[in-house]
Amino acid sequence: MKTQFEFNRRVMLQAMGTIAATAAASGIPFSSAFAEGPLNIWTIGVAKVGAAPGTGGADWGDMESQAGIKIAYTAKSGSADQAILKMVVGDGNQLYDAITDNGGGMEDALASQGAIAKIDTSKIDNWGNLLDHYQSGGIGEGTIRHDGDVYGVPYISNADSLAYNGSEIGGTLDSWEALFDSQFRGRAAMQNDFGPTFTNTGIYLKESGKQDIENPSDMTEAEVAGVAQFLIDLKKQGHFRTFWDGFQNGVDILASEEVLVSSCWEPVQIVAARKSGKDIRYGTMKEGHQTWNNIWMLTNGGVERGRADDFYKLMNTYLSPWFGARTLLTFGFAPQMNGVLEYIEGASEFEAAAKETVAQRLANKNARYAVSGNSWQNVFPTNIRAYQDWWAKVQAA
Amino acid sequence: MIRTNKTQVGGGRTILASPTFFGRLFGDNGLQKYLFYLPAIFMVVFFLIPTLLTIVWSFFERTLFWMEPGFTFFSYINFFTSARFDNFLSSMFHSGISVIICFILGFPIAVFVRRHVPQVAQHRVILLFILPFMVSEIIRTFMLRPVLGRNGLVNTFLQKLGIISEPITSILFTPLGVIIGEVMSFLPFIVFAGFLAMEAVPKYIFEVCQDLGASRWRVFVDIIVPLAAPGIFAGGVFIFVNGLGVALIPNILGGPGAVNAGLIATQAISALDFPLAMAVSAIMMITLLGLLFVGHRLFNLTRILEPIA
Repeated sequence: MKTQFEFNRRVMLQAMGTIAATAAASGIPFSSAFAEGPLNIWTIGVAKVGAAPGTGGADWGDMESQAGIKIAYTAKSGSADQAILKMVVGDGNQLYDAITDNGGGMEDALASQGAIAKIDTSKIDNWGNLLDHYQSGGIGEGTIRHDGDVYGVPYISNADSLAYNGSEIGGTLDSWEALFDSQFRGRAAMQNDFGPTFTNTGIYLKESGKQDIENPSDMTEAEVAGVAQFLIDLKKQGHFRTFWDGFQNGVDILASEEVLVSSCWEPVQIVAARKSGKDIRYGTMKEGHQTWNNIWMLTNGGVERGRADDFYKLMNTYLSPWFGARTLLTFGFAPQMNGVLEYIEGASEFEAAAKETVAQRLANKNARYAVSGNSWQNVFPTNIRAYQDWWAKVQAA
Repeated sequence: MIRTNKTQVGGGRTILASPTFFGRLFGDNGLQKYLFYLPAIFMVVFFLIPTLLTIVWSFFERTLFWMEPGFTFFSYINFFTSARFDNFLSSMFHSGISVIICFILGFPIAVFVRRHVPQVAQHRVILLFILPFMVSEIIRTFMLRPVLGRNGLVNTFLQKLGIISEPITSILFTPLGVIIGEVMSFLPFIVFAGFLAMEAVPKYIFEVCQDLGASRWRVFVDIIVPLAAPGIFAGGVFIFVNGLGVALIPNILGGPGAVNAGLIATQAISALDFPLAMAVSAIMMITLLGLLFVGHRLFNLTRILEPIA
């Protein structure tokens, strides 16, 4: 890995050096020789919003206008392997100026491999607007830092929870107990991913006193085995209808009423409710939730091409309530800045119903974030091999 | 062939003048000679080298984000001693069932087209089976959900007819759902292969059998199947390998934890366990080569390529 990575970097740096020398010889400042053209970003589709509240935007035009830069977008999946392959052993640094991925692991991985650059927060005017828990000593501090330096700008986050069909169930569900309750045998689903599924189950088992777990985000081999065995026993009883994989899959099983309870992302619940017309709700679990964020990172290639200023302009937009209010209304993601409610009060483009939705979702999120049993997503748990092996056993059971 | 300029000289002798530039370039000793190597180069670059790399990497040591050179059987031991092997075996079993169902449904179609459709129309009829491939496989597979689901067409229809009172939930999100998806997706393979294989069965044989009073079943079992066996086997291998490798079918139609070899490899990559993913891929390739070896010993697969007498 190291050899190939170094080779790629060496080739790239040689090429950069040649071009820089040419630029210098022609009297053109190095950074401005590259600073023309759009900011090349590699990110997920839901990283953008439209100016019209509640829309994802047809393209990146509204984000460009808001940030005052040009953007060239390349679609990216959310899986960690894709980013690692592209940025550490592939040509990601030559292609992209900025990328997104999960905080709380990916920034460590990419920074330790020299793929991303430190962020100069003084160049982001809205940095002071960032939520308090990202500041030093806060619960999210480590999700944007590597060795104490800031390498990531959070733009969305959430506390994943349980979606349930209120039309069929009636009442409110406020415990993961419901997901594992026999009354929903054959009508329950979890995500086909050992990360969130083991973590949420671990949170439930720990907080309900059913299993001793020190840290659901980074379990020991024995703890992983206990969590997996709990799921295996349920699976053998036919409890799970399926383990869903992919956004549309998650939406479909809820909307079609194949399942009545499902641990899932909030956008899945929002779209399922909209699609089916059913009262599909997103609960606040008293035991806790897996919390996560997604962060923007500036690539070393982007710095070398002189794209840092455009990156900081874009980050300023991401940390503005303009973006926070829209991503909350459109996708249900938590804003990463203060002042969203104050912003929509004065924003005439938000209708009364939209304002109410934003306020309600924000209140729900704050309630979920306030639960003491929450655990942050861990992209690379210490015993990842045990996680993998036990997940295979759950699948085979 | 090299184009040469023939010139008559004194006494009527004909001599061969030097070939033209293009004649030399594309002549037997020019580029033409190397054009025949293109398929071989293609296979080396896009099949042999990736295959060898896959095998070599499967013995590498895993690191946190990638892998480093080494020689360890860890990935293979991990595969064969973990639940992944059980998953692999069960996906082989389901793929085997899919092959049998595809043969039962698809091969008679091939026989019918070959025997009863006028020769001028045969290829057009067979081409109809390509139409499903015009639609994305994800969409084709996903569209089975509203058909097979709890509130899907099948259950609604059966409930309206009064045949069932409660929806059948054993169709979707079960191995049965995966098998249905594989049959729907891969049936054309056996139709194509069967159609080609039927070229090995001369039409007069049916007339001879009819004259001798053989039943349709005897003709099918004793004449058609043995003669068309290489083609049937080839079609079966296509379906079997796809059943093992195409991850989206168990992903969309399978139950909790439904996996095949393709999904095992995909999940290993998602967990950044690249040597394991390589080992799974290598095992799949060895399985395929083993199948082809057995098939060749049993049916002499080169017969597929022999000209029809």
